[in-house]
Amino acid sequence: MGSRALLMLTNFNFKATVSSFGSASNPFFLIKNNLRIRNFSTKTRSSLQPPDLPGLAETARISLAPNEVEEFAPKIGQVIDWFGQLQAVDLDNVEPAIRADTEGDNLREDVPQTFENKEALIASVPSYEEPYIKVPKVLNKE
Amino acid sequence: MLSTIQPPRYLSRFPLRGRTKSRPFHILSSAQPVTKTSFAADQSQILSIRYSLLNRHLSAVELTHSYLNRYRPPFDATAVKRLKDLGAIVVGKTNLDEFGMGSTTEASAFKVTANPWDLSRVPGGSSGGSAASVSARQCVVSLGSDTGGSVRQPASFCGVVGLKPTYGRVSRFGLMAYASSLDVIGCFGSSVADTGILLHAISGHDSLDATSSKREVPDFTSQFTSASSLKSRPLEGLRVGLIRETVDAGVDSGVKSAIQGAAAHLEQLGCVLKEVSLPSFSLGLPAYYILASSESSSNLSRYDGVRYGNQASSDELNALYEESRAKGFGSEVKMRILMGTYALSAGYYDAYYKRAQQVRTIIRKSFKAALDENDILISPAAPSAAYKIGEKKNDPLAMYAGDIMTVNVNLAGLPALVLPCGFVEGGAVGLPVGLQIIGAAFDEEKLVKVGHIFEQTLEGYNFVPPLITDVGGASA
Repeated sequence: MGSRALLMLTNFNFKATVSSFGSASNPFFLIKNNLRIRNFSTKTRSSLQPPDLPGLAETARISLAPNEVEEFAPKIGQVIDWFGQLQAVDLDNVEPAIRADTEGDNLREDVPQTFENKEALIASVPSYEEPYIKVPKVLNKE
Repeated sequence: MLSTIQPPRYLSRFPLRGRTKSRPFHILSSAQPVTKTSFAADQSQILSIRYSLLNRHLSAVELTHSYLNRYRPPFDATAVKRLKDLGAIVVGKTNLDEFGMGSTTEASAFKVTANPWDLSRVPGGSSGGSAASVSARQCVVSLGSDTGGSVRQPASFCGVVGLKPTYGRVSRFGLMAYASSLDVIGCFGSSVADTGILLHAISGHDSLDATSSKREVPDFTSQFTSASSLKSRPLEGLRVGLIRETVDAGVDSGVKSAIQGAAAHLEQLGCVLKEVSLPSFSLGLPAYYILASSESSSNLSRYDGVRYGNQASSDELNALYEESRAKGFGSEVKMRILMGTYALSAGYYDAYYKRAQQVRTIIRKSFKAALDENDILISPAAPSAAYKIGEKKNDPLAMYAGDIMTVNVNLAGLPALVLPCGFVEGGAVGLPVGLQIIGAAFDEEKLVKVGHIFEQTLEGYNFVPPLITDVGGASA
C-alpha cells in the first residue's frame, strides 16, 4: 500500500501552467509561465557532495556508533537525493518565505519579568554547585 | 458530548481489556474521582495532553532511552494553562513519536500505541496517543501538535475529529519546538463541536509567543446548532474545491471512494462542488522535510545535557554533549538532525533550505488563489487508512509519502479540520477514513460550521471502535 503512495513521489512527470491562477496583479506571474517539473530519478545528480555522516555528527554534537553510521548512511543518502528534486524547479524571482504569514511586528515591551519558579529550574540542572552550573573542561580541537 | 460527561466511565476505560500493547497514556496519579454529575461546556472537560506539551504536574515515566524522561517542567504551556484555568481535568499525557518526528507513533521513546480499530495497526503520528485516547473514549478531548499533519493524519486513522488551527491562532509557548515555522497545537475530539470548543478555549494572542496573532478570536462555538434545527440545504451555495492531485494515482481506491461519498454528501447539503488543480502540490513534501529537518536540527540543539535532561558522564565538554545526545535521542531523531545539519551547511543552504523556502511561497500563493475562488478545499487526510505496525518502519521515504495530503497546509499556514467520513476494508469492522477540509487563514469558524453540519447529517456510520462496547451510537 505504501508503494502506491510512493508513486506520488517518483516518476512524476507533469507540466503546469501558472496562468490559471489569480489576477494579473498576482505576483505569481513573476514565475515563468510553465512550471516545468522534469522527470527525476533517485540518483545523485548535482555537484553537491553526498552527506559525510561522521562530519555531520560532529557538527551536530551527536556521537554515532559504527553500526549507526552503517544503518543511517543509506537512509539519509536516499532522503537527501530525494531532496535534490528541488534543484530542477524553476524558482527565479520567487521570494523565500520564512513562515506562512509575516503579520508584522509582534514584539512585547523590552521589560524584564521575573519567573517565580526558580527552584524548579535549578532542580532540573543535572550538575549544579551553587551558584554554578557545572560542566567538564573544554578541550580545543586544533 | 461535553454536556453528558460521566467521568467514571472515561476513567474506567484504562486499561482496555485484551490490550497487550502499552496504554496510550501515562495516568496522572493525582487525578481525583469526580463527584459532580453535570458540567457546563468549557468546564471540567476530561482531556489528555500530548507529552511534548509542558505540564507542571506531571512527572515522568521510567523508560529505555530518553533525554527528558526525568524532566519535570517548571511551567505550563499557555494552552494547558488556559484549559486548567477553565477547570479542565487533565487525565494524563499521551504517547507520540519522539519530538514529533514520525507518522506512526512507532518512534516513541516509550512503547508503540495501538489503533483502537485494529490493535495490530498504528494510530498514526506523531500525535497517535492523543488520537487513540479519544478514539478509545478514555477522555473527551485531547491536545496534540501538528507540524506536517501530526493531528490530522492520526485523526483520520483513528476515526476521530482533528482540528489544526491557522499558524498563529494558538500560542506555541510551552510546546517543545520541532519546526518553529510550521508547528501548531491542535485539538482532538469525538465530535466537531467538542473539538471546536477545545480550540476556542486555547486560542488567542499570547505575549509569550512572538508568532501568535493579535486577531480577535470569534466565538465559533455558536455554530453548533442541533441537526433537527437545520433547514434542508444548510450549506446552500458554499463553494467547495476538491483538490484534484489528492484523488489521483497513489491514493488507495477505498479512500478515494470515501472522499467521493463525502463530496456527494456535501452536494446534498447544498454545496457547489468543483475540482481544483494545484500543480505545485507534490513539491510540498520534499520542501516540508527539508524545512522541518533543518529547523529541528537547530531547535534540538538545546538538548545538550547541561541545563536539564539526562547528562552522560564525561570529562570533556564536547564529549558530554555528544554522549548525552547520543544516549538521549532515538534513531529517527538523530537521522533528522543529521539531514537538517547537512541541508543548512555552508554551501548547501542555497540548494536546499532556501529553495524549500521559495517552494513555501509558491504553495502558499497557490492555496490562497484556490481559496479566493472557493470557500473551502477538500481532500483525503492520508492516501490510505492505518498501516500495520512495522510496515513502514525501515523505509523513510515510504513513511514520508503518507504525509502528502497534510504538509502543504502547514507550509501555507492554513487551518484544516479532519473528520471521519467513511471506511475502508480492514480490522474487525473496517478502518476509518477522514475527510480533510481546508479553510482560508483564520477561518476556523467556517471549518467547524461546515464540519458540524456534515457530521450531524451523515447517516449510516458508527465511528465508535468495536472495542468500546458500553457506548451506543456515535457520541460518547
